[in-house]
Amino acid sequence: MALTALICDDSLLARNQLKKSLPADFDASITTASNGLEALAVLRSQEIGIVFLDLTMPELDGVGVLEAIKAEAMDCLVIVVSADIQPEMQKRVMELGALAFIQKPASAAKLADVMHKYGLI
Amino acid sequence: MTELRFTEEQRDCLQELINVAMGLASDKLARYLNTFVHLQVPAIRLVDTEQLPEHFASRYEQQSVTMISLGFFGDQGLRGETIMLYQLANVDVIAKLLGYSNDDSSEAEMLTDISSVLTTTFLNGLAEQLENSFSYAAPRILSSRDQHFADKLASTAEQWQLALQVDIRYQLTDYSFNCDMILLIPGEAMMRLRLILDQFLASF
Repeated sequence: MALTALICDDSLLARNQLKKSLPADFDASITTASNGLEALAVLRSQEIGIVFLDLTMPELDGVGVLEAIKAEAMDCLVIVVSADIQPEMQKRVMELGALAFIQKPASAAKLADVMHKYGLI
Repeated sequence: MTELRFTEEQRDCLQELINVAMGLASDKLARYLNTFVHLQVPAIRLVDTEQLPEHFASRYEQQSVTMISLGFFGDQGLRGETIMLYQLANVDVIAKLLGYSNDDSSEAEMLTDISSVLTTTFLNGLAEQLENSFSYAAPRILSSRDQHFADKLASTAEQWQLALQVDIRYQLTDYSFNCDMILLIPGEAMMRLRLILDQFLASF
């Protein structure tokens, strides 16, 4: 069965940049959300295998999404793709269960690297 | 003025480029001050430069403010000026932390240094994403400990037709330290910027 992926970012440009940078052999149907609340609504109603999550967002930020995923024990992998590259923030999201942290704008090589490492491609 | 407005796509694009550049600048600032910076979604809007002084005068009502300017020049006719506005409450805490002595001249020196870190990192980040490169004028203090900074902001702003106001609030965990950044871009550079954004968007 093909994987389902969720791209969550408040910027259309960032969502498009990420889609374009995903490996060509990543066989997944992709859903998008433009803030944390929308992301949680998707996660609660659909089976999502992998989330590409921005941090700085209106309504509910990425940290809030990670906290909810943890609290509700949702079964999905999260790769954080953020411009907030402060070491303390990276540490925080990893402690909240993120699989990896990728600096924005995510390069195709870095994405392929991380996704290969975790068997997503 | 109407023809200088951004489309929603251009606005979204610019906001994201600014978001990435701001992330780099905040990381630099956090390391410089050895603290953590809370990032917020930057609010950007085009404003008539005439409206700027009034807007900031009300925001900083009854506070003294230091205002530091940095001019930048890029390829393809991109140029402008950034203005950083600092509230002076609690600046002495940061000065002590960074080892600046406690007088007005070193306070000015410290704010010039911080501005330099913030604005050059921010602008370099922006330039890199646009495949442009900026050079900079020396930062200059427009006004310090001045209750009438709005007048000075007005005389600076009137040289430009339009301003891209980027409300960036840098808020630190350990100390209260807010500053605002304003990007001033002249009308013809704004047209250039729109073209550059369109080229950028066309690659997706």
